[in-house]
Amino acid sequence: MGFKDFCFKKSLWVFHLSAGSCNNCDIEILDLLTPRYDIERFGMKLIGSVRHADVLLVTGIVTNKTKPRVLEIYEQAPKPIVVIAIGACPCTGGIFASSYNFAGPLDKVIPVNAYIPGCPPKPEAMLSGVVTLLKAMGKK
Amino acid sequence: MGKKTIVPIGPYHPLLEEPEFFKLYCDGETVVDMEWETGYNHRGIEKICESKTFEQVFYVVERICGICSTSHPFAYANAVESIPGVDIPVRAKLVRSIVGELERVHSHLLWVGLAGHFLGYNTVFMWAWKYREPVLDMFEIITGNRNNYAMFTIGGVRRDVDADKAAKLLQVLDDVKKKTNMLIGAVMDDPVFHARLKGVGVLTPKDIHDFGAVGPTARASGVDIDIRRDDPYAAYEMLNWKVITAKEGDIFAKAEVRLLELLESISMIQQCLELLKKEKEGDIKVKVKDIPPGIGIGHAEAPRGEVFHFVKSDGSNSPVRHKIRAPSYTNIPTFRKSCIGGTISDAAIATAAVDPCYCCTERMTQVYDYNTRKRILNAAELIKLSQKKTQDIRDKLNLSSSTDQTWKV
Amino acid sequence: MNIEKYIEEFKEKFPDIIKAEVVNKKRLMVYIPKSLLKDITDYWFTGLQYRYIIVSAMDSKDGFELIYHFSDDRTGWVMSLNLMLSHDNPEIESMTSIVYGIEWIEREIMDILGVKFIDHPKPNRFLFAEDWPENEYPYRRKIRQEDR
Repeated sequence: MGFKDFCFKKSLWVFHLSAGSCNNCDIEILDLLTPRYDIERFGMKLIGSVRHADVLLVTGIVTNKTKPRVLEIYEQAPKPIVVIAIGACPCTGGIFASSYNFAGPLDKVIPVNAYIPGCPPKPEAMLSGVVTLLKAMGKK
Repeated sequence: MGKKTIVPIGPYHPLLEEPEFFKLYCDGETVVDMEWETGYNHRGIEKICESKTFEQVFYVVERICGICSTSHPFAYANAVESIPGVDIPVRAKLVRSIVGELERVHSHLLWVGLAGHFLGYNTVFMWAWKYREPVLDMFEIITGNRNNYAMFTIGGVRRDVDADKAAKLLQVLDDVKKKTNMLIGAVMDDPVFHARLKGVGVLTPKDIHDFGAVGPTARASGVDIDIRRDDPYAAYEMLNWKVITAKEGDIFAKAEVRLLELLESISMIQQCLELLKKEKEGDIKVKVKDIPPGIGIGHAEAPRGEVFHFVKSDGSNSPVRHKIRAPSYTNIPTFRKSCIGGTISDAAIATAAVDPCYCCTERMTQVYDYNTRKRILNAAELIKLSQKKTQDIRDKLNLSSSTDQTWKV
Repeated sequence: MNIEKYIEEFKEKFPDIIKAEVVNKKRLMVYIPKSLLKDITDYWFTGLQYRYIIVSAMDSKDGFELIYHFSDDRTGWVMSLNLMLSHDNPEIESMTSIVYGIEWIEREIMDILGVKFIDHPKPNRFLFAEDWPENEYPYRRKIRQEDR
């Protein structure tokens, strides 16, 4: 296991970016912080700047107006960074795929490591998705 | 005038067409002007609705906003059902009201938590969100999902609330009511909350009329409007309840209105469940064959205010035009009145006070102004400022500290 | 509220209105020529203290249809003003001088339909990205756009 992989083992810092979502996934992410799920016991926490992040969570469809901002935030992030698409919208466009303001699924804009589908995914699903991803990365 | 500083709030905001990026122009600590930029979250929902059938539109509009995912279908149902003039069964009306009021409970609890967080009371944040969880569990039991309930359809609702679920819901409500009372006591009697929120971000009734603001924002300024009473829909005519108003128009009044509305909502659900016993189980839908040409205008009271839907039908199976107005569309411009002249640390809570689905604050990103190279604060610093001011007040009042300053978003 | 009487008095006050009809329960739609908009808005919003709701705009066969919605919260009636703008010259006076909150929706209609609001205090782009093409309006009907 290299040093960089080791860094992803514990206490991930998460930056949350909503490209153009309906709020549901965002609230469910915040829900993870509160007493029932309490991800902070794993050392994970939401942080205010992407420059400190290990994980970038993206929710919502990427609209034409947010596309340059998403790219810029990805540029600013320290590499390696794990990008997780949360919900149906960043994965495929979901119900908004036919919109004139839709700039394409997230993986057409920035590289994505994991997809957690659902509208919205339950907090348990998000936890399980992150754990699955970390396990898969460990095996590499 | 001294050096002007720009403080950005934004850019993302998750309601329909109203994600925004506020720029506060500050002179020292005082906000002297503000500017907004929108469209980050514009998803073209009105256009998408025109390509769906009348039935399918329900599932599009509930994805306008995750927290209001009953209010939009509610208003849309009112609009569409008014075209052929459908009268839905009483049981369906009651179920609709139950879901609508449950949503108000979870939304107001969410707001109380976030407002507490902005002021540096993370205990309130954790508590309120913890008490919100059983409500979401009830949603899962009744509708099958924690959010995006897919309960409504033209002519009624899709799932029934049977006796088992009703009993369970009553139990949860009793518990939530106890916790709410405790929360109200904790917030209303706290000297720091009084010192921090009274007289901040005041909106006069004239401001409310000028901007067309609605919901708790208007009611806290003494403007007595509530669509549930003024233009009754669903089961609200059958229930015994009152509209909560306050006179002051400051942020404390807004918190007061929301907290007391929680109790009203809980009582409304209890009454609905009582009335539900008299209606035959399973009678939840009437068949609506087609929507004739015509115009349907429907509105409903969401947790944040009036949701307005305009539907035009030409007799085919999808709307020709569907116009949606969410409450924040008229509530958000009131920031111009509530923030200018105040301090930066008050701006965070003044903007949060109208409840513009403020969980999006967590998504504020640092933005660089390349042209002017002005100093810019980011979201975390802004919230910190707000929390620091609370701490100062607390020190003045000689109270012990409970703020966890290291906890940030 | 006696709506027949209301319509009668309203027609006396503004004889130029084209038609006033009750479209649904508690919904009144008044069809007016462009020139009357300012007077009626002033009468409803400032005089009768109706609450401004929103403006719906659509592209219909005869022109761009603008519908100004107001609400009388004392009775629960939603009052709407319906006016038609020609396809060739979609221009209308901005109502921002009377209704402060109308600023956003007017900018939005400028973006989605290309209707021009004269004397708008801030006629900038509202919804779309910086690189959105200049003369493309998503809510205009496609067929007619190609005709031009």
